[in-house]
Amino acid sequence: MIKITDLEKYYATEEVRTIALNKLSFQVQKGEFVAVMGPSGCGKSTLLNILGLLDDPDGGSFIFNGIEVAGFNERKRADLRKHNIGFVFQSFNLIDELTVFENVELPLIYTGVKPAERKARVDEVLEKMQIMHRRKHFPQQLSGGQQQRVAVARAVVNNPKLILADEPTGNLDSSNGNEVMDLLTELNEAGTTIIMVTHSEHDAKYSHRIIRMLDGQKVTENVLTEYKSNTLEV
Amino acid sequence: MWRHRGFSALNISGLAVGMAAAFLILLYVGFELSYDTMFPKKDRIHMLVSDLKTPSDSYQIPVVDWSVLGKITPRFPEIQSSTRIVDMNLSIQKGTENFVEKRSLAADSTFFKIFDLKLLEGDPDEALRAPLSLVLSQTGAQKYFGSENPMGKSLKIMNGKYTAQITGIMQDLPKNTQIQADYLLSLSTYTKVIDPTLDESWGNYEPRGYVLLSENVNTKNLVSKINTFLEEEDGEKMKAANLFIKQDLELITDVYLYSTRIGSGSANINNIYIFGVVALFILLIASINFINLTTARSVERAKEVGIRKVVGAQKNQLMLQFVGESLIVTILAYILGIAIATLALPYFNTLAGQEVASGVFANWSYVGLFFAIALAIGLAAGTYPALVLSSFRPVSVLKGKFSTTRSGTFLRKALVVSQFTVSIILIIGTLIIYNQMHFMQSQDLGFAKDRLLILDIDNHPKQQLLADYLKKNPNIISVGKGSTVPGGGGNKSSALSIMQNSQGQDQTLTVDRYIIDDKYLDQLDIKLIAGRNFSRDLASDSTQALIINEKVVDLLGYSNPDAAIGASFDQWGREGQIVGVVADFHSESLQKEIQPLSFVFDTKQTKLLTLKVAAADLPETLAFVEESWKQFLPDTHFDYYFLDEFFDRQYRAEQRFSNLFLNFAVLAIFISCMGLLGLASYSTKQRRREIGIRKIVGASILGIVNLLSKEFIKLVGIAFLIAVPIAWFSMHKWLQDFAYRIEIPWWIFAVAGMLAIGVAMLTVSFQAIKAAIANPVKSLRTE
Repeated sequence: MIKITDLEKYYATEEVRTIALNKLSFQVQKGEFVAVMGPSGCGKSTLLNILGLLDDPDGGSFIFNGIEVAGFNERKRADLRKHNIGFVFQSFNLIDELTVFENVELPLIYTGVKPAERKARVDEVLEKMQIMHRRKHFPQQLSGGQQQRVAVARAVVNNPKLILADEPTGNLDSSNGNEVMDLLTELNEAGTTIIMVTHSEHDAKYSHRIIRMLDGQKVTENVLTEYKSNTLEV
Repeated sequence: MWRHRGFSALNISGLAVGMAAAFLILLYVGFELSYDTMFPKKDRIHMLVSDLKTPSDSYQIPVVDWSVLGKITPRFPEIQSSTRIVDMNLSIQKGTENFVEKRSLAADSTFFKIFDLKLLEGDPDEALRAPLSLVLSQTGAQKYFGSENPMGKSLKIMNGKYTAQITGIMQDLPKNTQIQADYLLSLSTYTKVIDPTLDESWGNYEPRGYVLLSENVNTKNLVSKINTFLEEEDGEKMKAANLFIKQDLELITDVYLYSTRIGSGSANINNIYIFGVVALFILLIASINFINLTTARSVERAKEVGIRKVVGAQKNQLMLQFVGESLIVTILAYILGIAIATLALPYFNTLAGQEVASGVFANWSYVGLFFAIALAIGLAAGTYPALVLSSFRPVSVLKGKFSTTRSGTFLRKALVVSQFTVSIILIIGTLIIYNQMHFMQSQDLGFAKDRLLILDIDNHPKQQLLADYLKKNPNIISVGKGSTVPGGGGNKSSALSIMQNSQGQDQTLTVDRYIIDDKYLDQLDIKLIAGRNFSRDLASDSTQALIINEKVVDLLGYSNPDAAIGASFDQWGREGQIVGVVADFHSESLQKEIQPLSFVFDTKQTKLLTLKVAAADLPETLAFVEESWKQFLPDTHFDYYFLDEFFDRQYRAEQRFSNLFLNFAVLAIFISCMGLLGLASYSTKQRRREIGIRKIVGASILGIVNLLSKEFIKLVGIAFLIAVPIAWFSMHKWLQDFAYRIEIPWWIFAVAGMLAIGVAMLTVSFQAIKAAIANPVKSLRTE
């Protein structure tokens, strides 16, 4: 599903040019659950942004679902993104002014789903995340665990092929954290590909494979569970 | 402040521009309100005015008859002194050239005493006593005598007929008085030399009359005593002429602004109020911006306040800091504003059509007043955020829990709405004023004013020779004669006339009187609707015929114009029959109702030559006319005008008004938009995170721009709804000053609304687009 080859990304300030990704290459198969680990500043978040089509690489190749997307313009990336990718953030990134229901509904609005269907799908996913009773509440009225569940609900409401999670349990206590990890595992078992950036060895154990990074490069890769995709496409 | 340069610049310049504009308008309003207030006895100087009543009509006029002041002044001890003033175009010879001086007055010898005008040379009590005495202003002295001392010298006046002695030099009169003259002739020149019967003549209304009253006189009582006395004195004459007169007094300082009498006053107090309100509005908009932007930004400083509190700042120390900062900014804006006003003053003087002030600092009290206003704005803008922020609990602020309070948001929205309400009212006002102007200038006046060249020949003895010569040029289609033209050129006069009405009775009425030849009506394309034009072949026409307009027909009660033909009339000794009726035409600006009007035929008393010229080769034609004039009348100054331009000059005041209005409306919109820009950029900054999230979950750029603009557009929409009724009501009232006016068209409101929304959209979308194309990752990272 994802194949990156010699991926490069720089950040330049007036004086210094920092290399964030240094000829990074790896593949992720459809249905796989991959954890990316490494110390702060190793390029994890940059990688996630590129994988999430929020940012453009400076060099190398990025094949998503069989299409070369490196060099796509903003508009094409946005289009691809909204139909295929869901995001879960450490800081939830819910919109404070909108209710739980409205937050989850947002991606459906932007992909042009009709109101009646939107309601059905939002209700369904809220039910699944067990926060139906909180649907009229605002994010700040919820606990961290509940907020992250809303964020996950928002990430999956569009049935994306890929979920990118950036330290999804970073702001949660352990029991809430485990709940979220269970949720992600369930989604993965239902067929969604997941790439998760994390500092937590505990969380990483939920994945099939851990990619460890340092200074923009892949250092090791250890396979926890041999994952066989039922298709061989990349 | 420096860290937010862009913001501070926006804030300061907006306030400065607003202050400069309001300051200039205040200068203008102050100038208009100061009319005739420079006379030390202004509280006791009144204008004696007359209300005339005939069986059919009444007239309020700003002048008196020649004899009335002579009768009442010695009779009533309340009247200390009085003077008559006659406006005149005095012709004065300098060498071989003859100048017609329009800034000339004739006045009684008491003139200088009543108005306390100082003479640089000469005795104020004596200078205007003897006939043919002439007092010059410094400007007048300079023109005719250069650096020589004119005292005791003489000048030939009235086409060389008389010689006047220079008996005094006065300072140039201030601009803000209705008494405007560079040449003051003794009135005894008229009453002793030109027409010795004038002092005793009754019913001949020409001079303005000014009286100086004693202290604490009850003017109402005095007016009724005067009227009782005059009724005893002249009652018989009134009955005989069927003309009843009541005098009234108007305080000199009220005349310019408030008098509604025909021919009196040129300012309109309504317009001055409107400008005052506009100035206030502009200042309000600018202050609102300032307060708005300052409070909006203060929220960003919540964290700073928290830290300061944690390290030990007291509440009042924080208050002081906020108020102090805001005061510094307003004082900067004030200084900048005064600088802008100084630079813009020459342009503003041109716009206002008069020099309203020689310099910004000509009136210190205004400069001081604006400083006080600046301080007040600074205090208001500083206090609100100071109060709110300095009372925060530092912990919650540091944790970032503080977000915009609901009341703060509401206040700012309300302020934006009020700004745009004002702007939209001004736009609608401007559009309506322009429409009315356009209407007045394009309206069918009932006569043709195009291609008419008017020569002010002042009834020169050689006029017939010139007229005959001019006719030889093929580009001069016809040459006619008239005493006056529509718009008030030449010698406009009105005459007390007795005409036979539909009941067969004699009816007295005052009608405008045009002395014309047989070509005049055709030249001006004034339509005869009954009877006939004057004819050169009928000798009796020059003594016994009268043409009237429809208005007179109505006043006399005839059912149709034809019925009035043959009715008898008596006008200034001329007796005979009405021979023709013309369709009503606008002999004056459309502000005024069409007046009753009459034409008499007399080629000897006309003042003007009227030339209908071809459109082609106009410059050549004009050159030919000038050359011919110089050939036949070498001693007089070539004085001409085109009737269309002359007529439209009546609208100069309105033109100026609309230009000023337009300028300030644009300014108001501009300042409002600056405020909106500031607020929009603030609001988008606050919503960066939200925008980032929305983009990540799939929002398009257009969607984001929509989202951000919608809120502001809604505010402008609300402003529009508030503005429309206010604008309609006030402009409806403004239009009442015009006898002929437009209906307020609905599209004006649509245009104004669209304009406001369009401008607001442009302003906001600039910010919104900037926010929408920003990389969402960055906005989330800065959280």
